[in-house]
Amino acid sequence: MNMNLFEQMVEATVEGDEERCVALAQQALDQGVDPFQAIQEGYSRGMLIVGDKFARLEYYLPGVMLSANAMNAAVQVLKPHLLQRHDRGSRGTIVLGTIQGDIHDLGKNIVKIMLQAAGFTVHDLGYDVPVRQFVEKAEELEADIIAASAMLATTAAYMPDIATILSELGLRDKYLIMLGGTPVTAEWATVEAGADGYGENAVEAVQVAKRLMQEKSRGGEK
Amino acid sequence: MIGFWDVIGRSESGPLLREEKFDLQVGRVARQMVEKYGIRYDPQQVVPADDDLADRVYQAGLDLFLELGIYCRDTGRLMKFTRDEVEWALKHAPTTVTYGQGRDVAVMTYRAIEDPKPPFCLMTPVGTPVAEERFVPMVQSYVQEPLAQTFSSAFSQTVHGRPIKSGTPQEVEAAIWNVIKLREAARAAGRPQIGIHNLISNAERTDATLAAIQADFGVQPNDGLCIAATAELKIDYERVKKVVALRHSGHNKYALYGPLMGGYAGGPEATAIVLVAYHFLGVLALEGQWHCCFPLHIHHLCNTTRELLWICSIAPQALSRNTHLLVTINTFAAAGPCTEMVVYEIVANALAATVSGADLDLVAVARNRHPERASGMEARIGAEAGHLAARQGVTREQANELVKEVLAQYEAQMDDAPIGKRFDECYDLETLQPTQEYLHLYERCKEKLSGFGLDYSLL
Repeated sequence: MNMNLFEQMVEATVEGDEERCVALAQQALDQGVDPFQAIQEGYSRGMLIVGDKFARLEYYLPGVMLSANAMNAAVQVLKPHLLQRHDRGSRGTIVLGTIQGDIHDLGKNIVKIMLQAAGFTVHDLGYDVPVRQFVEKAEELEADIIAASAMLATTAAYMPDIATILSELGLRDKYLIMLGGTPVTAEWATVEAGADGYGENAVEAVQVAKRLMQEKSRGGEK
Repeated sequence: MIGFWDVIGRSESGPLLREEKFDLQVGRVARQMVEKYGIRYDPQQVVPADDDLADRVYQAGLDLFLELGIYCRDTGRLMKFTRDEVEWALKHAPTTVTYGQGRDVAVMTYRAIEDPKPPFCLMTPVGTPVAEERFVPMVQSYVQEPLAQTFSSAFSQTVHGRPIKSGTPQEVEAAIWNVIKLREAARAAGRPQIGIHNLISNAERTDATLAAIQADFGVQPNDGLCIAATAELKIDYERVKKVVALRHSGHNKYALYGPLMGGYAGGPEATAIVLVAYHFLGVLALEGQWHCCFPLHIHHLCNTTRELLWICSIAPQALSRNTHLLVTINTFAAAGPCTEMVVYEIVANALAATVSGADLDLVAVARNRHPERASGMEARIGAEAGHLAARQGVTREQANELVKEVLAQYEAQMDDAPIGKRFDECYDLETLQPTQEYLHLYERCKEKLSGFGLDYSLL
């Protein structure tokens, strides 16, 4: 019975049907289905399909947003029950923003949607975000990853400051750093800016975030 | 009549709207317009020759703009306009733009579809990062191209050995350094008075930009600046401030639009409509004298995929048939210098744009992100293809067949496009000429392109 319910959750998520996603979440609770399992086997699996469709451009961003909203609405229904289990069902917490001096946030917003869709808890600081604010928010939330985006070379110049400031505060090993954006390359991000990961686009950003979290859970240094 | 300050005043009086809601509205309204006007992308018609389709794309863009308006990020307000206001602004938009002085004067004028007049060729490394010592040589490699009519800047990674950070005193220093070095590159190329269409690409803040636009630094009265809209269909005061300053200084200004296909707008049809709509924003709020379009593929970050070539063709056609605006396509290639792929990508884009009534802004390569990956040779490749399309009288139907042949040379490599060689690997820095390797590679590609029907003997 659960398998059928999970399949319906997958389908409703892929279709971006918020009403149906919420109804299925309530149905799962009524039937005593483990809410964590409902998210993992149902909604998250649906979002994986949505992510694949976006990667192939069978879905465009508004379609991804509809699905993400539908899933989030369902998770809101399930969340109180997750909290009782001390299990929030998140892949990890990410503090995200467009770096200081830069107002270009389209790419960052796409990354945010895709990370949320992949099950991460994302705290979006918006655009023109000072480096210190990334660090302060990460500390406040006990985040796993600090992720920053830049569209301009003159604003990307602030990105190395994230690692520098974390090091100065003795916090470098506490956080993973991910960078992306037009002037940022993999080599520059990891060698020059001291980041742990780089995503050329939103799809890659999700892959990198997952990989970094896996490494962390395996007892990596961060 | 609608004046500039009437337009900007609406950013303080229009209805309030949350930005996220506006983002979603763009996609929703674009989808509605695609359906209403029956616009369909046909992968076999990369360069469509359907005037009715072009007109429907134009009307869809206008309807979309009238419904959505412009979003002002500083105030969170919508700036809405009537059809009469947009049409009045279009009617009074510039018909020519002049750059340069003396023997380097160049005039950009309206181009029709299949216009036998060669495209206006602006040449630029589009802000490609480069080491400080190679900034002037790299820029010079563009200015010295015989088909270059204006030029602009690379991005020096340091100035006086110091990195440039937005909003810092160093940004002002860097902006001034940039304009001095651009004019130095022009002099070194033997074209001291050629126009610079975008004087500053290393400073975002208005204070730094304005500090640098001084005659004492080599800036000519009709050099200019790029004023960018923000995706999708948004403006912000930091950029509008530059518009105000340039209205008084008299320097040229152009508007820049980069809609993302696959992003908020949606697919190729919707993105083409949004790209058309951007031009109304540019005429009204940015007073762009000409319009630079760089629609990009959301994953590939270039405009040489099949869908993007279609957008780079149909949007200029829509505008050319229905307005006298000066429309330019800024080619973005996935591959980098000294690769066959980059040659074919640039040729495909230049052909599609030129026969569709656009001028050419040449060219960002290696997805415009890899340091040192840019050279004047790529601009030459695009300009030659554009000139040939015009001189040879290539029709849209012929261009479609040509472009499909060219696409077949690289389309399968899009995911793994080579970033190519560094500037100092594909140019001899002593003579500042392309290496024999690069010249031979281009010759081989030209042989193949000749086989497809491009007559390089006409150059």
